[in-house]
Amino acid sequence: MKRLNWNFLMSRYPAFFPLILLVLSIAINLFLQPNMFALDTLNGNMRVFLPLILVAVGQAIVLLGGGIDISVGGIVAIVNTILATRVGLDGTPEKMWQFVILSLLVGVLAGSINGFFIAYLRLQPIITTYATSFLYGGFALFILPNPGGGIPAKVAELYRSTTPLGLPLAFYVIAILLGFWLYVSSTRYGKFLFAVGGKAEAAYETAVPVTTIQFSTYVISGFMAALAGIAITMLSGSGNAEIGNAITLNSITAVVIGGNAMSGGVGGVAGPIMGAITLNLIQNIISFAHIDTWWETLVKATIIVVALATPGVINLFQRRRS
Amino acid sequence: MSLSLSAQNVVKRYGGVLALSDGNLDVHAGEVVALIGANGSGKSTMSKVINGVVVLDGGRLLLDDKPVHFSSPQAAKKMGIATVFQELSLIPKMTVAENIWLTREPLNALGQVDRKVIKQKTQQLLSLFEGTYKTDLHPDDPVASLPPDEKQIIEILKAISFDPWMVILDEATASLDSRQVNRLFELVARWKADGKAIVFVSHRMEEIFRIADKFSVLRNGKTVGAGEIKDINEKGLVKLMIEKESIFSFARAAKVEEKTEKPICLEVKDLRADTLRGVSFSVREGELVGIGGLRGQGQRDLLLSLFGDIPYSGLVKLFGSETRLRPPREAMKKGMALVPGDRAKEGLLYIRSILENFQLPSWAKYGFPLRIAKAKKDASDTGASLNLKMASLNEPVSSLSGGNAQKVVLGKWLMRKPKLLLLDDPTKGVDVGTKAEIYDLLTKLCGEGKTILFYSSDDEELVGLCDRVLVLHDGVIRSELTGSSLTKENLIAASLGVSNSGGEA
Repeated sequence: MKRLNWNFLMSRYPAFFPLILLVLSIAINLFLQPNMFALDTLNGNMRVFLPLILVAVGQAIVLLGGGIDISVGGIVAIVNTILATRVGLDGTPEKMWQFVILSLLVGVLAGSINGFFIAYLRLQPIITTYATSFLYGGFALFILPNPGGGIPAKVAELYRSTTPLGLPLAFYVIAILLGFWLYVSSTRYGKFLFAVGGKAEAAYETAVPVTTIQFSTYVISGFMAALAGIAITMLSGSGNAEIGNAITLNSITAVVIGGNAMSGGVGGVAGPIMGAITLNLIQNIISFAHIDTWWETLVKATIIVVALATPGVINLFQRRRS
Repeated sequence: MSLSLSAQNVVKRYGGVLALSDGNLDVHAGEVVALIGANGSGKSTMSKVINGVVVLDGGRLLLDDKPVHFSSPQAAKKMGIATVFQELSLIPKMTVAENIWLTREPLNALGQVDRKVIKQKTQQLLSLFEGTYKTDLHPDDPVASLPPDEKQIIEILKAISFDPWMVILDEATASLDSRQVNRLFELVARWKADGKAIVFVSHRMEEIFRIADKFSVLRNGKTVGAGEIKDINEKGLVKLMIEKESIFSFARAAKVEEKTEKPICLEVKDLRADTLRGVSFSVREGELVGIGGLRGQGQRDLLLSLFGDIPYSGLVKLFGSETRLRPPREAMKKGMALVPGDRAKEGLLYIRSILENFQLPSWAKYGFPLRIAKAKKDASDTGASLNLKMASLNEPVSSLSGGNAQKVVLGKWLMRKPKLLLLDDPTKGVDVGTKAEIYDLLTKLCGEGKTILFYSSDDEELVGLCDRVLVLHDGVIRSELTGSSLTKENLIAASLGVSNSGGEA
C-alpha cells in the first residue's frame, strides 16, 4: 500500500491514534526521566495511574452504550471514605477484605441508581449523573467530613509494592481488563452494546433489550469506580471525601483521547486505557519539566486540547487535498 | 407457524393526533396483502401495530383467531412476524453480518459470536440478491458505507433471516432499482409458495398489481375498502384512496420545439465528482429536464455538485458566465435551489415550526429585527399556494404527513423565487394526491420561465413530465431521450445500459 488511508485506519482501528499519543508521551517522559523503566519507578507510576485506568474503562462502557457517567468521582469518594473510616489504621486485613466486598456492592448499588433513572425512567444521562454525583459526593462528606482515617499499612503495602514476576501489579490488572473486554466484545452482550450506542431506536426495533443494556453500563461503571476507589484508598492509605473530584472529567477525557466517540457505538477499551496512561504521563512530564505551578493547568489543558483536535485537523487537511 | 393475523377496529393516538381510528387488516399464510393509502392515512402506524413497535389504544389483534397483545417488537418477533422498516432498522457503524444477525447471533461454546458461521450464513443470504449489487458487497462491510439501495436489501435480508411466517414490507421498494425490485418479487413469490404471509405497503400501483393477491385501503386512519386485487383496477384503488379520480392526468409541459429558441441557462462540461466521471450537458431556460437511470449512478452527486454541496471539477456556466458554485450559499445567491433527496435529514428541521422551516433560507430578507408579521404572511401565502394542510404555522414539521412535509421543502425554496430548481427525487414516499399537485406545480413553474433539473426514481414520472431525460449510467450520461424516443421502454433500456435506442447524447 503506497498511501496509508488515514480515515480507514481511524475507523477500523480506533485505538491507532491513542497508541501514537502514548508512544509519544512515553518517549518524552523517558527523555526527562531516563530511569522510567526501572521497576521501582515503573511500579511507582503505574500504581498511581491505575485508579484512572479503572474508572476510564467503566466510563468507556457507558459512552459505548450512548450514555455518560459524571457520578464516578462521587462513587470513588464514597468507597474511599467507607474504607478509611470503617476499617481504620488498626484494622485487620480480614476486616479490610470484608469492606472491600461491601465497597464493590456500594459501587454496584450507586450504578444501579444511575441506571434506573436513565434506562427505566428515561432521564437525560448527563443531568442525572450530574445530580447523583452530588448525592454520592455529599454522602462521602457525611461519612468523613475532614480528611483522615486510614487502612492497615500491611494492606496498603500489598497494593503499592506487589510486583509478580518483576512487573507492576497494574500490568496484570490491565491484562485482565483487556482479556475480559476481548471476550465481552465478541459475545452477544458486546454486539448489543454497540447496537444500543450506535442507534438505540433501530436496536429497539430489532428486539435488542435496550433498557437492560443501558442499565447494565451504569452498573459496570459503578463497579469499576468502586474498584478505583479501593485502589486509590490503598494507594493513599487514608480517606478524603474530595479525593474523587478530578477523576470524573479525567476519565471522560481519557476515553475521548482513546478514540471512542462521545456519541456512542464506536471504540473499545484498549484506547481509553492508553488514553488514561497518556493523561497521567502528561501530568508527569509537566512536573519534570519544572513548569511553574501557575502555568501547570494551562499547559496540561493545552496539550489535551491539541491531542483531541489532531484527528479533526488531519481530517480537515485530507478533505482539502481531495 | 401461525396461519393468520387479523387486526380489528384498531385505534392509535400519538398525543392529540388520531393516527388510526378504525384500522382493519386480515392476513393469511400464503398470500400477499397490499396495504394502501395516501401518506398520513395510517399505513405506517398500522404496520407498527402489527409488529409491536407501538401499542394499540383500542381494538384487538387476533393471531390464529386467538387474541394476542404485542407489548414490544420482541413479542411480535417471537410470534414470527418480521418487518422491513421504511426508515431502516440498521446500526450504521456495525457490519452487514452483525446487523443481519443482531439478537440471533450464532454462538460458540464460550458464548462468543461465531464469526465463521455468521459470515457464511450472511453470504448465503446475500446470494439471494446476487447480481444486483453495484459494489462488491461483503459481510464485514460497515452498513454506513453502503449506498441506499444496498442498505435496503440488507434490511430485507435481516427481516427474513429468522424465517418468519409473516413479513411486512413497508415501502421496501422505494430505494431499489428495477432489477432489485424484480429480484425481490421473485423472492416474494417463493415465500408465498412456502406459506408465508406478506404485507406489502407501497405507493407504486404497478407493483401492487404485480404481486398482491388482496388489498386493504386506508384513508384518514380508517379502512375504507378491502378485497381481492383481481376484482379492482388502478382507478378503483385510487378512488378509494382519495375519492378523486383524475389525478394521473398531468399534461406534458409546453412543446419542446418552442423552447429551442430560449437562451441557455445552464451549461456543464466534463463535470467530475465522487461518482461522476465526466458529465456534459446544457439546459435552456424554461426547460424541464429529467435525470434518469438506476439508483446511485451519480444522479445525487450531479445535483449536489451543481448546488456547490460537494467538491467537483469541471466547467459550469450559468446564464452564459462561468461560475464557481461552492459553498451552496454561492449557488443560492445565483438563483439556484436544491430540493434534497432525504427530506428528513437534509430538507427539514423536524422539531422546528413550519414557519421556521419555510423561512430558513430567507430570513435575511426580513431585516433586523425580523419583521415577523411579514414573514408569517409570506409563509402562509406560500403554504396556501401549495395547498399545504396544517393546523398552524407554529406546529412542528414533525406533525405533518410525508406529502405535506415535502411541500414545506418545496415551499422553502420557492419563497426565494429561484431561477434554476434542482430536484432530487421529490416524489419519493409521497402519496398520489400530492404527487399530482407536485407535477402541476413543476409544469406551472416551467411555464413561468423557471428551469428545472429533475431526478426521479419513478420512470413514469420522467416520461410523463419531462421535455428531455438524461440517462446516467456509472457516472456518465449514457443517452439522452427526447420527443418520440422518450418512452418508458427506451428509458429502462438506457438505464440498464444495454442499448442505444435513444440515440447517443
